[in-house]
Amino acid sequence: MDGKQEIIETEIAMGPVHSAAIEPYRVRLFVEDEIVRDAEITVGVNHRGIERIMEGLPVEKANSLTEKVCGICSGVHLWNSVLVAEKGLGVEIPERASYIRIIVGELERIHSHLLYLAHGNEVLGHETFSMRLFYIRETVMELLRLIGGNRVQYGVPIIGGIRPRADLDEMKIQRIGEGIDLIEEKLEAFAERFTSDPMIMSRITGVCPISRKDALRLHVTGPTLRATGVDLDVRREMPCYDPFEFEVITQDGGDVRANLLMRVLEIFESVKIIRQALRDLPEGKVVDRSWEMQDTGIVKSYVEAPRGRLYHSYAIEDGRVRGSIIRTPSMSNIGAMQYACIGHHITDAQLGIVQCDPCFTCTDRAIEIVDMSDNPRR
Amino acid sequence: MGLKSFSRARAVHAMLVYTGGCNGCDIEIVNAVFSPKYDAEQYKIFLTWNPREADVLIVTGPVTKQNEEPLKVIYNAIPEPKAVIAAGACALMGGVYKNIHGDIPSEEICGPVDQVIPVDARVPGCAVRPEDVLAAAVAALPKLLEAD
Repeated sequence: MDGKQEIIETEIAMGPVHSAAIEPYRVRLFVEDEIVRDAEITVGVNHRGIERIMEGLPVEKANSLTEKVCGICSGVHLWNSVLVAEKGLGVEIPERASYIRIIVGELERIHSHLLYLAHGNEVLGHETFSMRLFYIRETVMELLRLIGGNRVQYGVPIIGGIRPRADLDEMKIQRIGEGIDLIEEKLEAFAERFTSDPMIMSRITGVCPISRKDALRLHVTGPTLRATGVDLDVRREMPCYDPFEFEVITQDGGDVRANLLMRVLEIFESVKIIRQALRDLPEGKVVDRSWEMQDTGIVKSYVEAPRGRLYHSYAIEDGRVRGSIIRTPSMSNIGAMQYACIGHHITDAQLGIVQCDPCFTCTDRAIEIVDMSDNPRR
Repeated sequence: MGLKSFSRARAVHAMLVYTGGCNGCDIEIVNAVFSPKYDAEQYKIFLTWNPREADVLIVTGPVTKQNEEPLKVIYNAIPEPKAVIAAGACALMGGVYKNIHGDIPSEEICGPVDQVIPVDARVPGCAVRPEDVLAAAVAALPKLLEAD
């Protein structure tokens, strides 16, 4: 055959509500002979304008509104928003409150990672593993209901400490201890079976890798960045995590295997932190209400959400919120989701998107910023 | 009981549509159907993502302006008889996103679900509990079964 063979480039569009996508977002894959040549993810269908609603609300009200940014990592949004106010007003919180915040935050990380693993296994087509992980996750949800009173939006932190209803008594401490033992035991069994399954391992090894250099260039954060070998975790810079010993897990390769194993290992670290917190839980009151409202400039705060670095900032004026900005980790990871698909088979594209742990409801807040500013190809 | 409702009583297909909620209700509903603890599949309720084979439409979220058209298209694509369940505080009344400023209309939210499509069952809660979702699915059954 001489002459150029004409290769037809096809566009496969999924979107806003598509059977393969569990959240409303739009993906356009440009496919050439079953190989993805370009990918484009558009968000914005979910835009609710939460930062605009926060503008001008009293601080306490605005804080509880941030919980509604995301239904998976709701607690960490509230925590960070409260931290902004506490930093600005100079509030010192009791040590017991700080410990309980960390327990809730780590339980949330466990359930978010378990959801990621279950979703990943579902995309892989292994429903049994997915079911097992959902079953483990149910334990965590019950523990969160025990602490905060609700399964999803538990609303534990307030300015000056935590809500008194989330205080831990003997019964709660014992049940959390039993719960995390159960999670650890079941997850160990899962990890053993997962890693010794040759079918799954050959399906996920080397699929959709992101190199370390590209990950840094695309401003990837969180476990997705650590899965490429970069040792970066905001928890080490947070003063409230100082009393705890934990390791920052890293993996090499940045492929689906590294990402999945990364989450499993992080859950074990979270269990370790919760165990230390329950053991050393200090006595005393849980909320300090002796702070006074005053005007502040724009204060910034970072915490490590389950998906990566979360940024909140606002100023306080007459007890009301001004100029609120929220930057969620999934927003930084959108570039990686597009990049991971390129050059790979079309059947791997869904895995490539899922491996970056997308949460598009988090991301859809500000259409102005969602203009793919992180994406170097634009 | 006709043939249609006879077979429908043995396999109710529910379709879940996200219209801009916070993901909390959505995951709880998926949890209610899939997870081994609640497991709606043992009551022959299946989750599908294809509107043409669905009987029940579960809508979460306050329906953002961008999602209004897709929601109507999906609703029209479902064959009769159909039941719509609005799940969560946002779907029932717009939640925290709508009308938090008083009477100023929101620029992003085009209203609770019943302003866009007719609703048959309502599940309260923020986020909804899986038990309540199962109860709503059972409550919507008579409409499906008696229609034939």
